[in-house]
Amino acid sequence: MDSKMYLAEQVLNEQRTITYRALGRALKVHANRAKQLLFEFHSKENAKKPQSVHATYVISGIQKPPEPPATNGHAKDDEDEVMQSSPYLPSSMPNQDAPSDSLRIASIILAREEDLEDAKATFQSISTIHVYSVQPTALQDLNVLTDVCREVATAYAQDDPLEGGKDWGMIQNRNVKRRTGARPPPPPTASAPKTKTESTVPAKRPFEKSAPAGKTENKPEETKSQSSSAANSQTSSKPAAKPAPKREKSNLFSSFAKAKPKQKTSTPAESATPSGAEDVVLDDASEEEAEELFPNSADTAAAAATRESKKEREEKLKAMMEDDDADDEEMPDADEEPVREPTPIEQPPPSKPAELKEEVTVQGGRRRGKRQVMKKRTVKDEEGYLVTREEATWESFSEDEPAPKKKPAVNVAKGKGAKPGQGNIMSFFGKK
Amino acid sequence: MAPDEDFGFLRPPSNEEYEPAYRTPSSYNPLDTFRLPMGGVRHYQQQYGDMYFLRLAKLKPAVEQIAAAAWDGFNIAGENARRVDRVLDVRQGELCWVAGTIYMDMPLKPNILDDLTKENFTSAPPPRRAYVDPSNPSATQIMMEDESGRLCLTGAFLSSVHLATGAIIAALGTENSNGEFEVIDIKLPDLPPQPKRWERDETDKNQNGKDAVSKEGGKIAFVSGLGITGASSDTLALELLTDYLLGYTGFSGNDENSPSMNASKITRLIIAGNSLGASVTTDAASAGSDAAAKKKLAPKKYGYDASAYNASPITKLDNFLAEILPSIPVTLMPGEKDPANVSLPQQGIHRAMLPQSRAYCAPPPSGEDKQEPGWFDSVTNPWEGDVEGWRVWGCSGQNVDDVLRYLEFPGEDSSLDTEREESEARLQIMDAMLRWRCGVPTAPDTIWSYPFQDDDPFVLESCPHIFFAGNQPSFKTAMVETDIPLRFDEGNTEMTNGPGTTAARVRLISIPKFKETGELVLVDTETLEAEVIRFGTFAGQEEKK
Repeated sequence: MDSKMYLAEQVLNEQRTITYRALGRALKVHANRAKQLLFEFHSKENAKKPQSVHATYVISGIQKPPEPPATNGHAKDDEDEVMQSSPYLPSSMPNQDAPSDSLRIASIILAREEDLEDAKATFQSISTIHVYSVQPTALQDLNVLTDVCREVATAYAQDDPLEGGKDWGMIQNRNVKRRTGARPPPPPTASAPKTKTESTVPAKRPFEKSAPAGKTENKPEETKSQSSSAANSQTSSKPAAKPAPKREKSNLFSSFAKAKPKQKTSTPAESATPSGAEDVVLDDASEEEAEELFPNSADTAAAAATRESKKEREEKLKAMMEDDDADDEEMPDADEEPVREPTPIEQPPPSKPAELKEEVTVQGGRRRGKRQVMKKRTVKDEEGYLVTREEATWESFSEDEPAPKKKPAVNVAKGKGAKPGQGNIMSFFGKK
Repeated sequence: MAPDEDFGFLRPPSNEEYEPAYRTPSSYNPLDTFRLPMGGVRHYQQQYGDMYFLRLAKLKPAVEQIAAAAWDGFNIAGENARRVDRVLDVRQGELCWVAGTIYMDMPLKPNILDDLTKENFTSAPPPRRAYVDPSNPSATQIMMEDESGRLCLTGAFLSSVHLATGAIIAALGTENSNGEFEVIDIKLPDLPPQPKRWERDETDKNQNGKDAVSKEGGKIAFVSGLGITGASSDTLALELLTDYLLGYTGFSGNDENSPSMNASKITRLIIAGNSLGASVTTDAASAGSDAAAKKKLAPKKYGYDASAYNASPITKLDNFLAEILPSIPVTLMPGEKDPANVSLPQQGIHRAMLPQSRAYCAPPPSGEDKQEPGWFDSVTNPWEGDVEGWRVWGCSGQNVDDVLRYLEFPGEDSSLDTEREESEARLQIMDAMLRWRCGVPTAPDTIWSYPFQDDDPFVLESCPHIFFAGNQPSFKTAMVETDIPLRFDEGNTEMTNGPGTTAARVRLISIPKFKETGELVLVDTETLEAEVIRFGTFAGQEEKK
């Protein structure tokens, strides 16, 4: 039997943990059948050789309430106290204890084979028990199972759940709505640098991957043909029926026992390749999403226009980044300047016009009276963001107005202007 | 194992064909009550005072009507209670009643002046446990204000009621020689008029949907506080939840209790906040103090920092959603720990963060026309909408948490008794909110809030059928009904139905944190009864060793 072969390979030879969902996905069988297959495998192997295979079980049912009499008594007391201390509560406020006592708390509990009897003892009535997973050794930590689940998710990310769900025993929904709109391919300029930065994003289950390539229409057919072919070949030879080269890997590896040794080495590689593609998609997705903020540009069909605007934006972004960089470096300075700079100037404001003139020479135009200077000003705009703008401002440096002079110098959180200013101060000290 | 105890699965496979199960369809009609204007239209420079005046303007008529019905002709020692329009018109020694907004001055409340001293901080301060100073209860002052001014409330009666800033009440009493208003009794606006089931849908096109749904009872599933951190340890219960929602595990159909537990009856999953576990806010706050030290060492970098950003929680959430979405529609509300804005109403988690699930979203908004809600709907917090015809109003729990801070609670020790008491109190707070007709009374005072200008959406205009709060310590539920004796004279039973309204019934649900309890709440769409399904692992001897 195919399933026994598969389980024997996976569990006994490979020492892997197989959950019923992994089995169901691998063999394309209904989840309920997979549970039974696991049970059969577990009992047969252990009949051959005890303790060779361990299992975990899922028990669902109604659990016994923990120590009912004690808590109930307490609860009643509490209730009284609360009611007294808050009489504003109208009489219609139902006494919640009555319903909460009769309230059914159903439980779905995962337990090890070793604990199964204990776990069952905590139940008042049991609705179902089924095997959750089989593994060659007893699990010390049940959390290991999450890794198995994740592996399954990664390995079968290609399968479209809308198509395959029926075979796996998933509850179907007739009304499900999924967007199939093909997204414009990412502009090459944008994707190249960004993939690097985003490569830290763990790529998981990239089933979306095929969407941008516009393959959504082909996909269902593919899946169908594949699942049917897989079903046909279940009892016979599997490897023959592998049409889609894209999926070949996962199908081959999961269902074909001999490929097993290779799987471990190839899984990282496999997940690495999709992750590259996924990153591109991700990147594209985020860009497109950003655009969706503006309803007008949401039209994905106007790909060319979008691309143009993207380029523009990119340039803007770049410019912004450069600005930021400049700011970044200067931030520590800017913090200190306001403290240091004004004090020396403020002390001798009226008597030292000569020093201030020197600043003028560094900055540019040398005129007495007024001059135009490019200033960076950081202001809070209407939305509360800090915005740094370069503005041409007229500055007067006549002797009778020292105060407005200093202010701009203080406000300026910029590098190029401030540095010479500092030099000034040094020279000021030097002259003294 | 005995063959009769095989529970359907502990037996070799048979050739049984499994019928595909189909999920009960969901009827869903969300309201945009809390959606903020987009982009440039959204301003933050307005004054918050407008919100209080709007709230008062909306609720004063309602509470005055109730108060007038109760206190007209109320007579103490030959003096009739007189209605006073403004709080400043209260005259000393006169028995009167007046309506206004409650403001509570408490010693430990966050103070704007404290905040101004550290004006530059960029993230939320860590939340305080309570605003009450237990060592000095007299420092708490309760005041009533309206557009004219403020009136200090006093009297033994106040210690027997719980109030919070922002609630609109009417108080009966008299001003004493200290200029304080001695309160004898108060009245609340009480439950707003409740729409009938399917009220909004009947006018809509949803006629056929209604017929299909109402025949077979379904369930609405609520979960909150998934707390996905990206660590492997927290996801096993989530896996079990996924399996259950997708119908892989569950309760077999031959038991008397099981049909209602069948996952295919669940028409919709509502995730009420805190889907992510890592507390972004507190991390950022603590990082803020560290950052001051670090600043001198390295030039500060802004924006995306790959080394500090851990994408795995949101990726996990995305995987979870993408896995269940093919089978079940999901409404996702952000919570205080989710990547959304901090101030209420929180806007939906942007779908760009959920690259896989976004395929199930509604198409991007285009133009002005109202669009169909998405299969996967990332909504606001708080959120209001019609699910299976019932009006649902819910919040991710910030509202309840914050009002609780106004109440005196021995919250420091976490014994079983106080825990029970606290969750009891949380339900009472939810009840009080309904009667205050205000879902988030303490915004904008102690909950960050958008400065609404034209409307206070936190006022409950119509009474929901299901009122839930997420991220509570334990599951609690209760049914609240219109308080007939409060509103009408006892003899006048014909009046109980009121003018044009039937008695409102509201199902209150406090949804526990899934991460801590592993509990999923199911609400029956016909009876509004709530049930709980708990997911977990059995810690047996192996683990205890």
